[in-house]
Amino acid sequence: MSQLAMLAAETQEIATNFFFYTIAIVSVLSALKMVTTDNVVHSALWLLIVLASVAAVYVFLGAEFAAATQILVYIGAILVLLLFGVMLTRAQIGHEDDLNHPQPMQGLMVAVILFATMVYALADAFGTTRLDALSEQRVERTDAVADAIFSTYIVPFEAISVLLLAALIGAIVVARRD
Amino acid sequence: MVATLLGILAQIEQAPFVRPAIDWHAVAPELVLLAGGALVTVFDLIFMERGRKYIPTLTGLTFLAALVPVLTLWDNGIARSLFDGAYITDRYALVLKALFLLSGYVIVLMSTNYMAEGDYYDSEYYQLISASILGMLVMASSRDLIGIFVALELISIPAYLMAAWRKRDLKSNEAGLKYMLMGVFASAIMLYGMSLLYGLTGDTKLRSISSAIADQGTTPIITMAIIFVIIGFGFKVSAVPFHTWAPDTYEGAPTPLTAFLAVASKAAGFVALMNVVLYAFEFQPEIAEPFIWLLSAATMTVGNLIAIRQTNVVRLLAYSGVAQAGYMLAPLAVYEVNGIEASASAVVTYLVIYAAMNLGAFAVIMAAARRTRSGEIDSYRGMLNWAPGLTVLMTIFLFSLAGIPPFGGWFAKFEVFRVLLTGNTFSGVSLAVIAAVNSVVAAFYYLNIMKNMWFMDAPEGTDQSKLKIPSPLVAALAITLIVTLVTGTVLAGPLRNATDFLAF
Repeated sequence: MSQLAMLAAETQEIATNFFFYTIAIVSVLSALKMVTTDNVVHSALWLLIVLASVAAVYVFLGAEFAAATQILVYIGAILVLLLFGVMLTRAQIGHEDDLNHPQPMQGLMVAVILFATMVYALADAFGTTRLDALSEQRVERTDAVADAIFSTYIVPFEAISVLLLAALIGAIVVARRD
Repeated sequence: MVATLLGILAQIEQAPFVRPAIDWHAVAPELVLLAGGALVTVFDLIFMERGRKYIPTLTGLTFLAALVPVLTLWDNGIARSLFDGAYITDRYALVLKALFLLSGYVIVLMSTNYMAEGDYYDSEYYQLISASILGMLVMASSRDLIGIFVALELISIPAYLMAAWRKRDLKSNEAGLKYMLMGVFASAIMLYGMSLLYGLTGDTKLRSISSAIADQGTTPIITMAIIFVIIGFGFKVSAVPFHTWAPDTYEGAPTPLTAFLAVASKAAGFVALMNVVLYAFEFQPEIAEPFIWLLSAATMTVGNLIAIRQTNVVRLLAYSGVAQAGYMLAPLAVYEVNGIEASASAVVTYLVIYAAMNLGAFAVIMAAARRTRSGEIDSYRGMLNWAPGLTVLMTIFLFSLAGIPPFGGWFAKFEVFRVLLTGNTFSGVSLAVIAAVNSVVAAFYYLNIMKNMWFMDAPEGTDQSKLKIPSPLVAALAITLIVTLVTGTVLAGPLRNATDFLAF
């Protein structure tokens, strides 16, 4: 029996790892494609894959609420808004020569240095940490999030409502034709 | 079927929601401002065009009304802690809240005629100012990463929009866009640092973070988190090398908003920086101090060197503001030796005095711009003839900015030097030397403006009749003048006592 359980746990771990690395590779490749493509709409669609992969990682971590929020907010709202922005303004749709930075080497250098620093620091801190396969403790309780919003974080929560109102008023003033 | 379903429902554990205990007196300033802001918005919706001319007065009164609970809380004197220490109303927070509300009031006075005469969307502008000031009040009390981040965005987002308020002017569009892009970039870096801090400690409260990382020393991950967070705030306070947005934004934005950004918004950035560095990184001075030392030295030196070459008064004040941010950063580079209270006291003193003298200088620029229609230093020639009062006022504010007694500025600098030199450490003394050299450099360009005003002849064809200044601007000048004068003389001692109270 215990051998069977161990085997099950091992199979689950292999499966989890397989899916995790698939998602990771897809997400990294899409991210690279997103910054190198010279078409705004394509760039937005590559971004969609990156954001969806992040949502998938959240699902693996047992954070379904965060995954749902990620999809609703980033894909459902921000990305759609981006595409609307491209369509409703006179931005060029399709291939564009000067969409990319004229000096890609500088950007690459900064990115590589930052990436190396981050990998070094993260590997140093969490390199040996192992997450258990999906277990009860790792499942995030959505009602705990709700409780926190309406107790500890009530002041920031109220502040955000003012922020949204102010952003709305300001955006209408700046965007309206007069 | 139904019975099974009910059985399943009963099994789901229902953690009861506990209503948090809220000390309403502690959040009264925020609530008054919130109610006032909502009232102004509704008033505008009901009366439309007919109500426009009352909106500035109403907004100003709202700020003054919100000062009342600040004063009662100060009189009460008890430090109040809400939500398990995530939101604290102590005297440190109250001094800052009073500073933000008064600065907001002075900025409303400065905006009144500018906005009414310039065909802008004025009532919406005041609503955005109120929202931004509300963010500052929340910032002063927040001792929690989420609270600090939300407050910072509540301060910044209305400011991005207001910077682009002169819609038909390309420079204003540029100002808003540059400010927004740099601000969002800074927020992203800061958030990454904050997420690392949360990942390391599992808590968002600054005190808990401080104790959780206290014994972890300087691992690479903590170093990176601290540096990313400080870089994020560095953008907000326009510290070198993150200052590049400041001059263009200051020049393009409507002038009262420039004053708002240079004073209130910068002060709020400093409050955030102080809260995080002094609360959360209290036991990591070996990372935070050298980094802030570098920022401080670079900020004052570069800010001053570029300020010398400016020919536009607004850009000059922008760069001089960058340099002043360097002096304000200095006490934070030596917080270990002196204790966090001494550093916080020096920074708060500087913020209060800086707000008064810089707002005063901007008010003079706005009054003068009603005649000169330009911000070039050359256009200030011969100002003594057509605006003798303004000339004297500008001289006082510039003397104060240069740190010449008996005006407020000297006391602000004195407090900074006192903190830098008390510990007698190499880093403190060397930073004090750099600050002293920079003060002399700064005096040069401040005196250059005065030379133009007092001794040069006005260019041909200048209108030599006496300038009439509208009454709201006179009130703004009077308030800033009084604060600049008393903080340097009779109130210098009480101000130090008041800020020494700052119990952390």
